[in-house]
Amino acid sequence: MVDPTWLATAPALAFGAAALVLLLADSIDPDTTNTTVLGGIAVAGSLGSLAAAVYLLYGGVGIPTGEGGSGPAVLFGGQLVVDQMALFFMTIVASVTALVTLASMDYVREHAYQAEFYSLVLLSATGMSLLSAANSLATGFVAFELVSLPSYALVAFLKKNRGSVEAGLKYFLIGAVSSSVLAYGISLVYAATGVMRFDAVATAIQSGTVQTVVDGSIEAQASGASVQMSILGVGIVMIIGGLAFKMAAVPFHFWAPEAYEGAPAPISAFLSSASKAAGFVIAFRAFAVAFPIGALAETGGAVDWFVVFQVLAIATMFIGNFAAATQETVKRMLAYSSVGHAGYVLIGLAALTATGDGMALSMSAGMAHLLVYGFMNTGAFLFIALAEYWGVGRRFEDYNGLGKQAPVACAAMTVFLFSLAGLPIGGGFFSKFYLFQATLNVSAWSLAAALVINSALSLFYYSRVVKAMWIEEPTGERTIESYPTGLYTAIVAAAVITVLLIPGFGYVSEVAFRAVELL
Amino acid sequence: MAAFTYAPAIVLLPFVSFLVALFLGDRMPKGGALAGIAATGLSLVLSIWVALDVAGFVGSSTSYNEFIYTWVAGVDSITLRFGLLLDPLSALMLLIVTLIAFLVHIFSLGYMNDEGETGLPRYYAGLGLFTASMLGFVVANNLLMAFIFFELVGLCSYLLIGFWFREDGPPSAAKKAFLVTRFGDYFFLIGVVGIIATFGTGLFAPIREGGQVVEQSFPALAEAAIVDGATGPIAMLETVGMGPQAWFTVLGLLVLGGVIGKSAQFPLHTWLPDAMEGPTPVSALIHAATMVAAGVYLVARMYGFYAISPTALAVIALVGGFTALFAATMGVVKQELKQVLAYSTISQYGYMMLALGSGGYVAAVFHLTTHAVFKALLFLGAGSVIIAMHHNENMWDMGGLKDRMPVTYWTFLSGSLALAGIVPFAGFWSKDEVLYEALIHGFGSSNGLGPVYLLAYTFGLLAVFMTGFYTFRMVYLTFHGEPRTDIARDPVSVGWNVKGPLSVLGVLAATVGFINMAPVAKLTGAHIDFLHKWLNGPDEGGWPAALNTGFHHYEVLLKDVAGVGVGEPLGSIGTLLGSAALSLALALAGLLVARSLYSGPEPVEHTDKLGGVKTILMHNYYQDEYQVWLATGLTYPVARAMDKFDQGVVDGVVNGVSSVSLFGGRRARRIQSGVVSNYATLLTLGLVLLLVVFGLAGGWF
Repeated sequence: MVDPTWLATAPALAFGAAALVLLLADSIDPDTTNTTVLGGIAVAGSLGSLAAAVYLLYGGVGIPTGEGGSGPAVLFGGQLVVDQMALFFMTIVASVTALVTLASMDYVREHAYQAEFYSLVLLSATGMSLLSAANSLATGFVAFELVSLPSYALVAFLKKNRGSVEAGLKYFLIGAVSSSVLAYGISLVYAATGVMRFDAVATAIQSGTVQTVVDGSIEAQASGASVQMSILGVGIVMIIGGLAFKMAAVPFHFWAPEAYEGAPAPISAFLSSASKAAGFVIAFRAFAVAFPIGALAETGGAVDWFVVFQVLAIATMFIGNFAAATQETVKRMLAYSSVGHAGYVLIGLAALTATGDGMALSMSAGMAHLLVYGFMNTGAFLFIALAEYWGVGRRFEDYNGLGKQAPVACAAMTVFLFSLAGLPIGGGFFSKFYLFQATLNVSAWSLAAALVINSALSLFYYSRVVKAMWIEEPTGERTIESYPTGLYTAIVAAAVITVLLIPGFGYVSEVAFRAVELL
Repeated sequence: MAAFTYAPAIVLLPFVSFLVALFLGDRMPKGGALAGIAATGLSLVLSIWVALDVAGFVGSSTSYNEFIYTWVAGVDSITLRFGLLLDPLSALMLLIVTLIAFLVHIFSLGYMNDEGETGLPRYYAGLGLFTASMLGFVVANNLLMAFIFFELVGLCSYLLIGFWFREDGPPSAAKKAFLVTRFGDYFFLIGVVGIIATFGTGLFAPIREGGQVVEQSFPALAEAAIVDGATGPIAMLETVGMGPQAWFTVLGLLVLGGVIGKSAQFPLHTWLPDAMEGPTPVSALIHAATMVAAGVYLVARMYGFYAISPTALAVIALVGGFTALFAATMGVVKQELKQVLAYSTISQYGYMMLALGSGGYVAAVFHLTTHAVFKALLFLGAGSVIIAMHHNENMWDMGGLKDRMPVTYWTFLSGSLALAGIVPFAGFWSKDEVLYEALIHGFGSSNGLGPVYLLAYTFGLLAVFMTGFYTFRMVYLTFHGEPRTDIARDPVSVGWNVKGPLSVLGVLAATVGFINMAPVAKLTGAHIDFLHKWLNGPDEGGWPAALNTGFHHYEVLLKDVAGVGVGEPLGSIGTLLGSAALSLALALAGLLVARSLYSGPEPVEHTDKLGGVKTILMHNYYQDEYQVWLATGLTYPVARAMDKFDQGVVDGVVNGVSSVSLFGGRRARRIQSGVVSNYATLLTLGLVLLLVVFGLAGGWF
């Protein structure tokens, strides 16, 4: 046990503290554009969060004391739980945030309000970290909003840019609809079960009677009322809808292509990697703990939620990848591919049997894919940031011949794209393969087929970029004046880690598998 | 054990000479020839040492079978390894190969260097790799390693036959040799995979440690399956749904595909006459010791596997006997010196196959040995004549060379007498034994093998006459009579590096038959059938017990499983003498006919008397034509149809899928209208749809 217990939330606290330091610096010198200091604070906060998360993950927080760990850290009467899964996702969030803040130092150098930019990123990251640990629908919702609200502002950060502002507004409007759907779903679940804490909801479903939490322990309500399955079912489907917004899964994905395209590229990276991961962690925890599929099936079944996820997964894979195949701009292609990847990760919640078997395998495959994806997708968007920094155009043709002028960055981009497609040049191959295994494990043929077909299709549109960079001759005049250090460092680091995840994948999947088993 | 420790060097030395000639050849005197001579010479010395060790004269152990290098380590599956198997068979073959390769290297000094050829480093690199590949094949202790070196041998033959690649003929001949043998090797490869899949091992002989078998060999496993009925461990039998004998026959025949290709047996013999386009020393090497010998050697190497399959034996005997006669008839009408020799090679390897098929294991190895010597001699002799004749190979332009190049004449005569099978030259003893074995097994075998053997024997017997005829037709036309051209009147003289190898081989061709004078041994009771004893080993213990590769073991298998028995219609001595007298008489008859037709001072062509038969023979029975037809008339249209199918149907489906994808993609894109209220509507509708569908399914309403 971490002592004192609240220290277990150090990854979230590091983000929060860094955000406050930034605000403090801004109030001391409101007009500063000293990127080195401001960005440095943000990077330091992210790295601190990463260090804390990795330290706790290795330290065995969440692993039972009997097995050499120190047990999960439970705070606020079970509202927050820091265990292996929470730490796994905190690691993803902190890694992506570190890369994004590092890369942003070059990107926002010319802009005003840098302190606000970094503090918004860090506050959103704080929300993601907290969301990883949220163990109740209430804390989940609050953390969820903490993730969302700063991100609306961040998308619209380029105030003079019409696309950015429009995207921010659309994102906000769709986000508002989705949040209300989520909140309504939560209220229905609360109405049906009488509780918010995930384990208490599970107890209610298993026992079939409405529960209450008294002083942290779960008891049946004195009235002895039974759980209304139909209300619970509607609630669960609406919660899925609300969370699907954050994952950018069909049909709640409409905001994603526009927001990713309009936002500053580092923010697109942040949203498509870290924010998506945050949407998944709350879904994983809620559906693994609060709505156990086995118990739901036994008690007459409000809803076979994994079937909902199967529908969403297949629809998301197809719509995301097919739309990506016909895009003309690279950033929008990546935005749609990000939607498609949400479909792959959804397999983690969809490849189950009717009794809930196979969850550890499929969910850990989803987690591992999110981790690998966190690096390769962030890297790809950061490459777009680099291209925007250089003033290279947005279309595929504009990338022609870039490989001759910036071989290192283009090599890194090649790694990202092929890894995203699932070629064994990066960890993306193994994580997709692991997902594929998970689908075969439960004989979910439709999911397996969708995964294979869409991976093959994705290779087509990813290679268009590679072809443009390396094979085509440059069309127009283009001069590259400087090679920004921060962006380059972030891109190369992401590429190196993507490649290192090939040998390291065995370890990652092991940690993920264990984390799911310990839920 | 000492000699066995150095045995890998036998293979590696020529390989090193290959590297030296390739990379340093143009900076060395003689273009790398000296490296090759030194390497093959040392290999020869080491091979003699190994042979002495196997014979028990030096060292403590008489056999060796171990893995020396793991190539692919399998987890819970098959491990692929390189290893050495040294027993009397491989020791004898090592001697033959290194000796011939050594002499060919020396001869090349006269044939290539003195003639001022260019590209010598490439030539000697090829020779070195060729020798190394063959030696690696000979010592291989498992089928996969044998296959790899078998293929390397094929590659080297391609490189060397096509040595003069700027001319028209050689590249085409090289391609033909490569492709035709490749056709056979295709079956061999399937056979290798089949055998390894069936038995889990490709070992020729079991590996023992401290007297215990640690890894069983596939012939032994096959034997156990058939003789003792131990089919349990062979799961493959259930997969294919065949009895063990039927399935092992299939596997054996698949491997035989490679043998027929490499050893130029009917119908895959067509590459060999064309291969004469290569330099003559290469022809000597290919025909005597390396490429063509590889096929027959492979059958001898895994003889325990064939001995349990009467069908495979019958096929081998029949193919061999037929090829012996078939090729001999074509040799009768050829006008070029090397062409005659080429067809004689095909014919002689047919004899070896006949012997192997009819249970004459010792006879086959014996004929392989004697043939290696006299055929190398004849090719080198032909090379000497070709040097003298300014590379004109047509025999009708020669004549009267006897007095002008005596060393070549006398050694060539020795080789010719051996080839024709005239007593007491080497070929007589071995060919007589081949025919004798076929005869007695023809009378004594059951399972329908008897008539097959007798048929094959008849083919072989007729071929004896043909052989005597074409051999001496060649001798008379080349060396006797009056010179028919100016070049033949004043031939170029040849140097020591040509005469030396010829003399060595000339003496050997006359005497090497004495290593196994089985008829004399039988008549006099003297134990002078040394080769028989060499391959038989001690009766108790020793290497035959350790490796299961002794002839005695094969004899038991042949008798008990295949039903190959001995029948002597004229009694023991009578049959022996009768067979010998018959084959000798036919050989002499062939010789005398040739003499009567071609021995005068001005011989004339008699082939026109053959009428239509001549046309058929000159066209080699239209073998090339029908094979070309198979390629252009059959394979090509099928390939075209396949291509159409691929282009039209397969690519069509792929293109169709991509069109549908892009269309779908554009549709998916159109949903994204850019109007946020549309998004909200679609989002809400999607959610409502989900709620309605799952609500109805869950019975919420």
